[in-house]
Amino acid sequence: MRIVIAEDLLLLRDGLVRMLTDTGHTVVAAVDNAPDLERAVLEHRPDLSIVDVRLPPGFRDEGLRAALSVREQDPKAPILILSQYVERTYATELLADGNGAIGYLLKDRVTALDEFLDALERVAAGGTAMDPEVIRQLFARNTRDQRITTLTAREREVLALVAQGLSNSAICAELVLAPPSVEKHISNILTKLDLPPADNTHRRVRAVLAYLNQ
Amino acid sequence: MFPRAARALAHLLAGLVTGPASFVWAVLTTLACGLLSFTYLGPPVFLAVTWVSRWIARLERWRAGWVLRRVIADPYGPVTGTNLWARGRSVIREPGTWRDLAWLLAGFPVGLVTGVVGVVAGVVELGVLLAPAWLWAVPNPRLYPVADWLFNTVGGRFTMSLAGLVALWPVLWLVAAVARVQASIAARLLDAGPRARLRQQVSALRETRLRVVDAQAAELQRIERDLHDGAQARIVAAGMTLALADRKLRAAGLAEDPARADVMSARRQLDDALAELRRLVRGIYPPILTDRGLVAALTALAGDAPLTVVVEASDLGELPAAVESAAYFVVAEALANTVKHAAADECVVTVRRSGDVLALAVRDDGRGGADPSGSGLDGLRRRVEALDGTMEVTSPPGGPTTVRAEFPCAS
Repeated sequence: MRIVIAEDLLLLRDGLVRMLTDTGHTVVAAVDNAPDLERAVLEHRPDLSIVDVRLPPGFRDEGLRAALSVREQDPKAPILILSQYVERTYATELLADGNGAIGYLLKDRVTALDEFLDALERVAAGGTAMDPEVIRQLFARNTRDQRITTLTAREREVLALVAQGLSNSAICAELVLAPPSVEKHISNILTKLDLPPADNTHRRVRAVLAYLNQ
Repeated sequence: MFPRAARALAHLLAGLVTGPASFVWAVLTTLACGLLSFTYLGPPVFLAVTWVSRWIARLERWRAGWVLRRVIADPYGPVTGTNLWARGRSVIREPGTWRDLAWLLAGFPVGLVTGVVGVVAGVVELGVLLAPAWLWAVPNPRLYPVADWLFNTVGGRFTMSLAGLVALWPVLWLVAAVARVQASIAARLLDAGPRARLRQQVSALRETRLRVVDAQAAELQRIERDLHDGAQARIVAAGMTLALADRKLRAAGLAEDPARADVMSARRQLDDALAELRRLVRGIYPPILTDRGLVAALTALAGDAPLTVVVEASDLGELPAAVESAAYFVVAEALANTVKHAAADECVVTVRRSGDVLALAVRDDGRGGADPSGSGLDGLRRRVEALDGTMEVTSPPGGPTTVRAEFPCAS
């Protein structure tokens, strides 16, 4: 994959570049501020942009704003936001355009290399990668939801993974379940939440996130 | 002794001039202000008169301070108000105005008595001391025998001079003492009274406390940033290195090697450290507050709660960081309590700023009966009070529960 990185801390930028290069990707540009990011993305049209939320000059949420601005100009540009902390609000803003190809992960996740690389692939392919912490926050605001309280513990586990953007096979691997039982769980969940059955993973993720975020 | 006595004498002589002048000024202007007080000329004339009176008082303060060897500071508080009537009222309420007037009036009799005593004592002493030099020129017939000998013989005049020399120190001391009496009375009236002194202390304390609180908030933000750029980034970088090491171990066919288990466990420990740091940072200074400001942070809080939370906020403008974070934590704690105890369906958070006051209220439709001295709320109250704010919790049985907080936020 051709990747653009925007990260202001040299230590992390170099670490990311090394890690991605070692795993067979090409980093076409590694920048350290938001305006450069926008320029680099529009110039290189990468398969994926990895963006830190906090970037110079303001060290607030410039990375996020730059990402949203890039998406306005190129609605399909796959972007993965990395942050030291996650806010449900930011996830909502990122998901708002409904185009997919969005990821929002804690920086910690880069240390779980296989899962991280999997998330990169998902986002580049137009899917979604939401941090488990975001999903936890989404669940927290829905603790009184009648429909969600009817889910079994296992179904809730599966729902969390679906919301993170995982495919069926990834969920099977994660929970060590056979594909038919995962499919069964998912169809139960969709029925209980009154969501339309969807064979397309991306659409299913979006429906689930929209439900949790409503 | 001599310079001090000279100063004292100069002070007393000046007092003999300023005393009557101030007295006349004070009497005339008080009469004039009294007569004009019910007309539109009242406020401007009063303000102008007070302005002049304050300069006279300043002069008197300097004169008294010159003898007492200390600086006597102005006691006046700020004159507030936008129109003349309001400014006039503010000057009338100022105790310093009346203490000034008291001295302008009292300065005359006090100055007269002390001035006469001091000057007479000084002149008599000088006369006696220099008796041989001038008494011969003044005929003094028909005196008592002793006085006759003293005044009219050379030996007697030199004896007087000797007596003058003996009395010199006590007389100089006396002159200085009366001058000090006059200056002390002046200082008593013109110096800041107990009320003004308290007011000055309070405003000084308030200012220093505000500085401490501001510095503390800035420090917390700095710590948050340092953790973000320093410790957190380093731990993530270490985690990346471990992840690559793990990958290499696998690539070298050592997937089952016990070393790999250690690498994995080290990585998990780093993840725990990061989670711990994140919790810490959130408690210190919520990052979203830095990123987006108070209203957005509160809206995010509202969105994360498992009940309907409506945030009503107007434009708050620039707020001190300490106020922002305290307001955030008050709302966070109130919402958490609502979720835990109130069995509420809806909660309304209002944040308003009127002038230099930020007022916020969190009101739910739950069952009430909250303990206002609960440990979480109590800690918050202390935090709010450190900013000179107030916080109150009303929670009658049956509800609703309302938490109100107000912060002064002059920026």
